[in-house]
Amino acid sequence: MKNLSDQFVWKALKEGDLKAFSILYKTYYPILYNYGLKISRKVPLTEDTLQDFFLYVYEHRENLSDLDSIAPYLFSSYRRYLIKTLKKKSKIISFDEMEMKIIDIQFTPEEIITNQESATFKNKNIATLLNKLPKRQKEAIYLKYYSGLNTNDIANIMGVNYQSAANTIHKAIKNLREEVSILQLLNS
Amino acid sequence: MAKKNYNTIEDFLTDESFNNWVKSNRLTDIDFWNEWIAYNPHKIELVNEAKDIILGVKFKHIEPSKEKVNTEWTSLEYKIKANNLKKIKKKSNNYTKLVGIAASILLLFSLGVYTLTGTPVKTSYKTAYGEVLNLKLMDGSVVTLNSNSSIYFYENNLRKIWLTGEAYFEVDKKESTNAKFLVVTDDLNIEVYGTSFNVDTKHQKTSVFLEEGNVWLELKNGTTKKMIPGNFISYSSKEDLIIEQKEKVKATFKTSWKDGSIIFENLPLSEAIQKIEDTYGLTAIFKDEISKTKLITGGVPITNLNICLRAIEKSVNVKITKLKNQLIIQKK
Repeated sequence: MKNLSDQFVWKALKEGDLKAFSILYKTYYPILYNYGLKISRKVPLTEDTLQDFFLYVYEHRENLSDLDSIAPYLFSSYRRYLIKTLKKKSKIISFDEMEMKIIDIQFTPEEIITNQESATFKNKNIATLLNKLPKRQKEAIYLKYYSGLNTNDIANIMGVNYQSAANTIHKAIKNLREEVSILQLLNS
Repeated sequence: MAKKNYNTIEDFLTDESFNNWVKSNRLTDIDFWNEWIAYNPHKIELVNEAKDIILGVKFKHIEPSKEKVNTEWTSLEYKIKANNLKKIKKKSNNYTKLVGIAASILLLFSLGVYTLTGTPVKTSYKTAYGEVLNLKLMDGSVVTLNSNSSIYFYENNLRKIWLTGEAYFEVDKKESTNAKFLVVTDDLNIEVYGTSFNVDTKHQKTSVFLEEGNVWLELKNGTTKKMIPGNFISYSSKEDLIIEQKEKVKATFKTSWKDGSIIFENLPLSEAIQKIEDTYGLTAIFKDEISKTKLITGGVPITNLNICLRAIEKSVNVKITKLKNQLIIQKK
């Protein structure tokens, strides 16, 4: 976050500072937008829920608790907000069921850098391999390597404990490595 | 410098010097780990796995542009300020702005604005055949405009929309607590307070399907009707007649077009083809009676004529030839 620390912005927001809120908005809109689009796959819905969500945050600013970092709070609240909206639209019974059904992130080759730092993943068709992973592993991968969140934050967002989030990420990478070696066997 | 035992993946991941080695950060760590691996060849698989977890997958960030974010912020800021100043209602410079969301397929999009002294500014949107447009109105409502359709409204009342053709409306509930939303067609007016519904004015009648919420209809002959979700009604002011009325219609048949396809269920081809004619601006000619009565079930795309025709051919086993604006249909 530019020059202002998260705590500073958060504190100013709680006092109703619209300038601080604008910084927060402009910093997090793009990355939350991408996340929302990944979950809902619909542009108008993503835009609407994001606007409503930010409005909600601003209007309830006085009830916000103190935070050390803003990103995990915004990610987990927006995720909840979006699922709630989607749930209303589709009449599915429980939140958990919705969560399992809805969050199925798909990756496209265009969004993945070909020249990966990891030698294992370099010049491989990683998008296809990623899409083969179980849903929760895909989301964890997305949150860690696209959104740049740490394991602790990811655990909070996905509503699991630290160990479980860490395991999900490890398993995902392990699966990817296996898929890559299978591909190499087939091509040799 | 790390000297403990490394048995699990976590041992590596939480070790700072290991992280330094992965990212080629510190010479002493690099030397240490190169040596460590040479002495512990049985751990190489674990080391490589930990390395990949740290490096992960690198993504390109595909996100909305700065301009887009600024536009959205302006609209939110406006809402916040409007909420703050509920008592003293002022300010209207941002009012005429309509945010058009170019759907993945951006289509013909015509915006006409006339400013004449004393006349409110008029904004209109139009689609061509085979095109669908997704619009977001300033009040938060979303309009999906089907092919060969148009809407317009005036700046002084953004919640009164004139429609020709077919559109699906998702009217924002929150914003509409005190202002009603009105859709006007040649046959009737639809009054709503936050809801989702489909309106189709093709073939000299207006058909309304209510998916969610409540709406009130005011027919041109003055009678009013209340609709509940699932209701479908079709009225022609020319004949002053309710042509069709159903208590419960499945939403997919009436609204699937907005997600890109028309869905048929056991519909005679002669009826199904009418939808294709409307969508793509074509006229169908049947070469034989048998083809007319063939029943079709399934979905066809509304923005790709070629795939649409191939899908119909395959599903009901007919041959369709396109000649200029005509579709010649015959049995195989």
